[in-house]
Amino acid sequence: MTLSPIRDKVRAGEPLTFEDGVALYRHANLLEVGALANDVRERLHGDRTYFNRNFHINATNVCVASCMFCSFARLKEGDAGAYTMTHDQAWAKLQERVDAGDPVTEIHIVNGLHDGLPFDYYTDLLAGLKRIKPDIHLKAFTAVEIFYYHQHYGLSVEEILRRLRAAGLDSLPGGGAEIFAPRVRKKICDDKCTADQWLDVHRTAHRMGLRSNCTMLYGTIETVEERVDHMLRLRALQEETAGFQTFIPLAFHPDNNALMKLPAPTGVEDLRTYAVARLLLHNIPHLKAYWIMLGVKTAQTALWFGANDLDGTVQEEKIYHMAGADTPQTLTSDEIVRVITEAGRTPVERDTLYNVVAEGEALRSAKPFRRPVRRSLEIVS
Amino acid sequence: MNRLRLAAVSFLNARPITYGLERGAGDEMFDLRFDLPARCAEALASGAVDLALLPLGSYATSPEDLRIVPGIAVASRGPVRTVLLAGDVPWQDMSSIALDAASRSSVMLLKLLNREREMSPSLVAVDHDEIGTAASGTRGALIIGDAGLRLGDRYPHIYDLGREWTALTGLPFVYAVWAGRPGMVTPEHVRVLRDSLRAGLDNRAEIARGWADERGMDPAVCESYLHNNIRYRLGAEELSGAAAFLHRAHTAGLLTRPAARLRFFDDGRLEHPTCNSKLAPALPLPRSELAFPRPNTTRSVDGLLADAAAGLRLGFDDAIRLYNDAPTLDLGAAADARRRALHGDSVVTYIIDRNVNYTNVCVTRCKFCNFYRPPGHAEGYTLSKEILAAKLQETVDLGGVQILLQGGLNPDLPLAFYEDLFRWMKANFPLAIHGLSPEEIRFIAEKENMSLRGVLERLVAAGLDSVPGGGAEVLDDDVRRAISPLKCSTDTWLEVMRQAHALGLRTTATMVFGFGETPAQVFGHLEHLRALQDETAGFTAFICWPFQAEGTRLKLKDDTTAMRYLRLFALSRLYLDNFPNLQVSWPTMGPDVGQVALRFGGNDFGSAMIEENVVSQAGAVFKLSAGDIERYVRTAGFEPRRRNMRYELLPA
Ligand code: SF4
Ligand code: SF4
Repeated sequence: MTLSPIRDKVRAGEPLTFEDGVALYRHANLLEVGALANDVRERLHGDRTYFNRNFHINATNVCVASCMFCSFARLKEGDAGAYTMTHDQAWAKLQERVDAGDPVTEIHIVNGLHDGLPFDYYTDLLAGLKRIKPDIHLKAFTAVEIFYYHQHYGLSVEEILRRLRAAGLDSLPGGGAEIFAPRVRKKICDDKCTADQWLDVHRTAHRMGLRSNCTMLYGTIETVEERVDHMLRLRALQEETAGFQTFIPLAFHPDNNALMKLPAPTGVEDLRTYAVARLLLHNIPHLKAYWIMLGVKTAQTALWFGANDLDGTVQEEKIYHMAGADTPQTLTSDEIVRVITEAGRTPVERDTLYNVVAEGEALRSAKPFRRPVRRSLEIVS
Repeated sequence: MNRLRLAAVSFLNARPITYGLERGAGDEMFDLRFDLPARCAEALASGAVDLALLPLGSYATSPEDLRIVPGIAVASRGPVRTVLLAGDVPWQDMSSIALDAASRSSVMLLKLLNREREMSPSLVAVDHDEIGTAASGTRGALIIGDAGLRLGDRYPHIYDLGREWTALTGLPFVYAVWAGRPGMVTPEHVRVLRDSLRAGLDNRAEIARGWADERGMDPAVCESYLHNNIRYRLGAEELSGAAAFLHRAHTAGLLTRPAARLRFFDDGRLEHPTCNSKLAPALPLPRSELAFPRPNTTRSVDGLLADAAAGLRLGFDDAIRLYNDAPTLDLGAAADARRRALHGDSVVTYIIDRNVNYTNVCVTRCKFCNFYRPPGHAEGYTLSKEILAAKLQETVDLGGVQILLQGGLNPDLPLAFYEDLFRWMKANFPLAIHGLSPEEIRFIAEKENMSLRGVLERLVAAGLDSVPGGGAEVLDDDVRRAISPLKCSTDTWLEVMRQAHALGLRTTATMVFGFGETPAQVFGHLEHLRALQDETAGFTAFICWPFQAEGTRLKLKDDTTAMRYLRLFALSRLYLDNFPNLQVSWPTMGPDVGQVALRFGGNDFGSAMIEENVVSQAGAVFKLSAGDIERYVRTAGFEPRRRNMRYELLPA
């Protein structure tokens, strides 16, 4: 197929249609889609490529839901591998960082849907973290969790968000969206809130002035059409609220879960999904290549297929690693800077809301890729 | 069998090709006649003949799906002397050019070169007999054939279009090829046609004398023409030239159909670069000594990439420029276009073989190697036949077709050890032996005080099938001295390969980068390989990967990010225009990046059953089964096919 009609629309800044999205997936040459997505990326961000310093807290893995792709959750306390952190344990994770002088700026907190914890558990958790480091950004609770709290504690979504915010919540992560199509949801995550409920939580959050991210889980049993539909529903909400900052495609990982027979998506499929996302989601500013899940090499390559963010230095990631991700659990900021620089891009350290924390000289600890200098061969015998 | 009806052009330069046929070789197979180039094309089109020595331009414009006889062409690299533009005034002042319709290729070449000079003189057709005197005033004339050899300095301004083409592109120009309808030509026909040419090449002096006598020409001029101007090989370089011509002609609107692909008759034996990666057979012809620097103009990155994508030879400085400045996806797209031109858009190959490291005892102590043990070390081993037998049998059981046999430089192992090992393997297992890198062959030669060739001959006699291209690292003696001071020099490495090719062995070539080498050293490596390949056409494939630092004595950071690999890989595809195959290195880069590399110029996914001690001890841990490989190849949009070492497809 020829890309020209789509290319013309992209150049003119017109939104692509559902059919365009499907055609980009099914027919277009990978490198052409990539190059077009790269044009958009460079128009929006030039060479700038963001990362942040963050770490994860997964406070509990006890979850009433049984999503097919989840290797993290345990049904009840006491099951093998089930855990719930005490507040002190969770707070200690931040305290250690602060004591070590680690300039972390964000904590990413997502948890199982625990039916035996009081709501205070969450508000106290946040408040305690803020006590330790008042300027830490708390990006916490997926829309699925928020909706569950609404049902479980009998409070409106708005009220839940209001109380969490009062305790220290700064923004919402984008997880739990999976795939919006009911056919797929029913099969792989029947216990989760519906697409409309998920979108509604974000709508409410945006209305209250909270920013959030959004995701899509790809590579299970969904069709290409269902992926495109998913992205277009995110785009429609963004049209209404402009509250999403970043879209993060998440590749399904097949180990240790009920979908083990499915193979994981391959590199070429990953890159195409990134490129298509960049082209369809013209109104969502950032596209994040989550290296924890893609692997550093593919994530680096994605920086030429539309992605402009590599996520963070991430430590103690549990969800993907319990599903068999064999990526390192942490990259130092030096390593991230090097990965970005060697891709021929410009690294920028950001905070959660994309304010610049450091760039240029402050980050220049890796040798530039475009002008390779001869490294001296240090040889130890 | 019906006799094949042949038409050949009646020019001097075709005579070596038809020499054997004219003297009765294959008489029962062929029926030969001579004609002007354009009429040969007509005869083929009307069905009056089955196979014609056809101008490339006619091949490209034929409405039929023709096939080319591999290995044979009328070509030149540099001056050809029989396609000349002559006139009283310089080219840029010519308002019209007279031409006869004798050769469509020459006319197309003229039009292309006019365009290149941004000129559009009117073209006037005249009779073939009048062309020699057609130029006058601001009218030039395109003079082809004998008239060119006789032209002397009759005109003040004479341009050799062969020279102009090579100056423009750095490539040979292909004037004519044997072409016919699919199915007409059998491997046996190809053999006789090649024999006919070989005899002709041996008798160029006689051909020249005969031709000159009949026409009152100078025999020395005719002979020099056949020796120094015309080349008869259709090798990778000529194919690049032909592809470049068709591409430029199409872009210039001279060919209405999309640039015709070069497709070949099966010669039953060797594989050819443009047809399922089959290798062109290298006829033993002298290479023209003439060097043609490309015009020294500053080209844009886009222009360089477009040329490279069209198959034009990429210069050293231009390659470094692209490495530094070209956007990654543009490099990929250009390399992808080259891959498509060479291999079509369907098949990606892989092989089932096994890497056996027969010994880890080694005296060379390379700094990047954590596999070897010095002689006398408690962990040193040489595999026994029992252990080998188990590995080989397992390989056979898993559908393997080859053993990649490499090891350290073990001073206890004489040539007889290898001869015995190979004979035993051949006697007991149906497996090809792809074995002993140049370094090991050199070591054996030194130990036995024999020539490289002598060792290779003995190994071939014992069963060696092909030679792996390992131990090349970076072919630059400064780098080599720094990382593996005891390893063979660049020249020795190349010499082993040259000798192996001369014996008819096919080999691969590798590059390991990331030792802190400069881009100039990287492209120097590729330049060495390209030059040797021009000479021998014996390399089947090129493979590169970044050095894996972990656990070795070199204190370097791993250079294993994907970006440098993909960029260098794409540039290798573009630079090594005469290498038929590029293999991706998933064992070091991971299958996802390996798969992406299929869109950066790769057409082979390597080996399914890996037991790669040298790399795996430095931390590469990927493992793929044949099923996994097929899935990666399929999801990248290709059809996976198994192959052997010669890159011949195995039955699906
Ligand atoms: S994905 Fe989330 S909601 Fe589903 S089972 Fe896992 S922890 Fe529970
Ligand atoms: S790389 Fe080869 S030659 Fe060098 S030390 Fe290792 S085994 Fe020996």
